[in-house]
Amino acid sequence: VGERSGIGLVELSMLEALDSLGARADRRPRRSVRVLQAVDTQIGLAPGYAYQLLVDLAQPWTLALPLVDGVGNFGSRGNDPPANYRYTDTRLSRAGEVALAAERGTLAPVPIGLINGNTHREGLRPPFAPDRVIKALRQVIRHPRVSDGELTEIIGPPDFLTGCAVTGDLAAMAAGQATDLVLYASVTAGEDGRQIIIENTPPYFSTDDVVCGIAQRARDHHWARNHPELSTHARLPLADVRDASKRGNYRFVCVPEPGTGPDEIIEQLRLVYGVQTRVPVLLPKPLPRMIRSWVRAFRDEDLLGSLATLEEAIAGQAVPSQ
Amino acid sequence: VLAAAVLAADDVSCLLVGSAALWLHGEPVGVSDVDLVIEPGGANLQRLRDGLARIALRPRALPSARSMGWLPMVAVMTSYGKVDCLLERGRLGWEQLSQHATTIRVADSGVLVASQGNVLALRRRFKE
Repeated sequence: VGERSGIGLVELSMLEALDSLGARADRRPRRSVRVLQAVDTQIGLAPGYAYQLLVDLAQPWTLALPLVDGVGNFGSRGNDPPANYRYTDTRLSRAGEVALAAERGTLAPVPIGLINGNTHREGLRPPFAPDRVIKALRQVIRHPRVSDGELTEIIGPPDFLTGCAVTGDLAAMAAGQATDLVLYASVTAGEDGRQIIIENTPPYFSTDDVVCGIAQRARDHHWARNHPELSTHARLPLADVRDASKRGNYRFVCVPEPGTGPDEIIEQLRLVYGVQTRVPVLLPKPLPRMIRSWVRAFRDEDLLGSLATLEEAIAGQAVPSQ
Repeated sequence: VLAAAVLAADDVSCLLVGSAALWLHGEPVGVSDVDLVIEPGGANLQRLRDGLARIALRPRALPSARSMGWLPMVAVMTSYGKVDCLLERGRLGWEQLSQHATTIRVADSGVLVASQGNVLALRRRFKE
């Protein structure tokens, strides 16, 4: 891992490749195939593998700080795959430029790895809210005696881009212990009282699969007569499920069967896989210690300056949709 | 656990192991997926395949019942959660595991659950 930005070495190689091709944030993007050829030359990673990483770095719904600005079809949160690398273009994002500058030593270190985490690739480090991480680092720089509890409170719970709710043993996670986070969507009764609205579904799960799963649970089971009790738990009394998503704003509408009130089904819907998921997490050390050791390791550098530069880069990037 | 109960209601002969089995035995463990040891045999594999097709999020991605006869494991995403079908473990040790298993009621369906000792032994072996 690049120590000064916290991003992976392969990711760093992507950024180097983009920079070597002149694909900077304020320049025109380059064909992804050229970037991948440069990565292949640098570290011997074949384009088929490297493209998956490049796509991750460019998807605004995957990383809080996308390091790459993708132009073209980079897929969706559903089952639509990105276009082949011959047909997409990429360039460095502002955050990508900041990460590269930090790794080259022209800028003091920045906590991009800590913010983005790696749970999007089945890693164990969850993402945190960028502004909160920056605030916690500033607090340690300015007031080194700030308590661990205060730091943990400033950083807050892991922050997933879809806006899903996060529960679980957050104290254990902050203490650096292995635990599971439970991520769940917002499931509420619609204004007319006859529909149920599902929004902010957890990340890393196809939105198409969420709809498909709900629709499947609404079907009758051929064994229902022999197992009526199981059927009431396994089957959702829904008359219809609709995908009402628009422009990256994912929203699903469920219509209960006649005679069934929304409140009766909401709890059941919350348990459907995809509406709720578990994510195992394990921080390399307790969260406050991670923050303190990062500041201590680079105390001779202008950390306040690099944090301000990172903040500017974040403000300059488009606000990602869920 | 509901996935195991649904497959059992679908007449699939399978045996629950892993964290879900420990949870049904009363252990305070988190359950993130369901591990099922499948009884070998063509008819049961066909029932498994059909049952999974009814609950899988991507039924077209399921292997055929015939392929399940030699595959070591099939992992399936369902609306009840992830289901890992341990096919090779079934071929190697169904008799031994089922001998000590108990049936636990999940709603009004009976789920065959491996003994606590066997579940822990399988976990140890898997981790080694």
